[in-house]
Amino acid sequence: MDPFPVLLSFQVSLVATLLTLLLGLPVAWVLARRRFPGHDLVEAAVVLPLVLPPTVLGYYLLVVIGARGPVGQLLGALGIELAFTWRAAVLAACVGSVALLVKAAQAGFESVDRRLEQAARTLGRSEWNIFWSITLPLSWRAVFAGTVLAFCRALGDFGITLMVAGSIPGLTQTMPLAIYDYVQANQMREANLLSLVAVATALLFLLGLGRLARLRF
Amino acid sequence: MLSLSIYKELPGFTLDAAWEAGDEVVALFGASGAGKTLTLQCLAGLARPDRGRIVVNDTVFFDAATGTSIPSRRRRLGYVFQGYALFPHLSVAENVAYGLHDRGREERRRRTAEMLDRLGLTALAERRPRELSGGQQQRVALGRALAVDPELLLLDEPLSALDAPLRRQLRAELMGVLREWGKATVLVTHDLAEAFQLADRVVIYDEGRIVQVAPKSELLLRPASELVARLLGIRNILQGTVVKATPEIIELSWRGYVLEAINSPTRGYLPSPGTPVAFFIRPEYVRLIRKDRPGPDPGHHMNRMEGSVVREVDQGTNWTLLVRLDHAGEPAQGDYDLEIEVPKLVYEMLEIARDRRWAISMHRGSIQVLPAA
Repeated sequence: MDPFPVLLSFQVSLVATLLTLLLGLPVAWVLARRRFPGHDLVEAAVVLPLVLPPTVLGYYLLVVIGARGPVGQLLGALGIELAFTWRAAVLAACVGSVALLVKAAQAGFESVDRRLEQAARTLGRSEWNIFWSITLPLSWRAVFAGTVLAFCRALGDFGITLMVAGSIPGLTQTMPLAIYDYVQANQMREANLLSLVAVATALLFLLGLGRLARLRF
Repeated sequence: MLSLSIYKELPGFTLDAAWEAGDEVVALFGASGAGKTLTLQCLAGLARPDRGRIVVNDTVFFDAATGTSIPSRRRRLGYVFQGYALFPHLSVAENVAYGLHDRGREERRRRTAEMLDRLGLTALAERRPRELSGGQQQRVALGRALAVDPELLLLDEPLSALDAPLRRQLRAELMGVLREWGKATVLVTHDLAEAFQLADRVVIYDEGRIVQVAPKSELLLRPASELVARLLGIRNILQGTVVKATPEIIELSWRGYVLEAINSPTRGYLPSPGTPVAFFIRPEYVRLIRKDRPGPDPGHHMNRMEGSVVREVDQGTNWTLLVRLDHAGEPAQGDYDLEIEVPKLVYEMLEIARDRRWAISMHRGSIQVLPAA
């Protein structure tokens, strides 16, 4: 069996999870701690990818990052290709999983007593500093749970990835896509093996998550 | 020095408050929901007034007219939150050191150790807040607030989370700390005893408004209005009618008697005859006239009245007697007219349990007339 799809999937999911954290945590914080016009709209927009068909998401993502899309043109001018590369698979995984992280982290941030942050404010700390010294240490469990879920979701993405990155063997073919191809080609042994890898990975992560959540720091 | 004038509208509530204070302890006293904590939050920059101006020690914290608003983190305050809001994931020492992040490592260590020592927390330095008793938590919150050497100390119900015996002990302890510290302190409380023991000046809040600002020594003697008297829990607040008012004396008609009260020389309150007014007399200032020792002359006892004890309540060291006057008509306070407090010894010596009929008198200096609010 070719290990490439497994390795690619892990690489894509890892990078996608980092990107998700980078984008998702500020959004979660703003949703949890700021009231502004359009708050509810942003909140709904964040959850939208969870309920839309992956093909719709993939389609819109392709419109944006494709060679003739606004982002695609911009990057093209810089000599960077995005659509149908592994980087597009990262974006696809990101779009599919960011809602899980944002919702979990938002709930975590909201559960932190506001007065603790107010106390920190009166003690001379900046908002940035308060986030790292108070808010995150008191909500890391929720953030961590969201991160694990987002990673597992990224690992399993099929539809969005297929739309924007294709299924090019040895280039953009991730584990779920490879499984589909094996099944199409009636190579059931390979499909079976890859599926087991996917199940084992997810199970391992979720078990580890449960273990960590019970730890006290 | 602290001078504040704030106006803030919230759904269903408007805060409209202005007062000033020196380097002293000011208690904001009033029922819950009167706007005391909101005032504290405005002082701390955690809430923003719609209008107004806040100046602390010549620094303009907030001025709606110029759009000035210094962020909380630059106001140099110590804020002790209701329930303390200690950081649960940090040790006692880390909590106290939290505001010292911008000092050098050496100074941070020294100041933290100093503060822990001053508050008797050194042995608990490595504990987490959840492992502490209520009183210890209170001290950590105080230590965390004072460690930064603030310009202004804000205390929101610092003792209300504690049990009564502990509260008395910590009140004395807190008073010691505040006296030693000696800078402007604003204390929010709904406990009058706490306000009186800890504060120099009392600001009374009622439904978002200030109803009186006074040194505490004046407050019980000269409440500004009937409303203030009621908020202060003053007993024997009665309704009479003005018979005559001069700068020295106010004569009141009440329950068929004409009472003579001293007019407050500072107030110059001169209501016209027939004006309804409220007045009060503290229960411990109503005198029982001893039957065995008549006064030296008939005019000795002012505002003399007669009645009988309808009920009494044992208060431990005192007895409260509820007395109904002999005059016909509706009693002033339900089934009685006056509450009288006598020491237990007097209650026993005069055999009040047996002897129910008494003549009483009220010194004209003890009757406090309350201008209409």
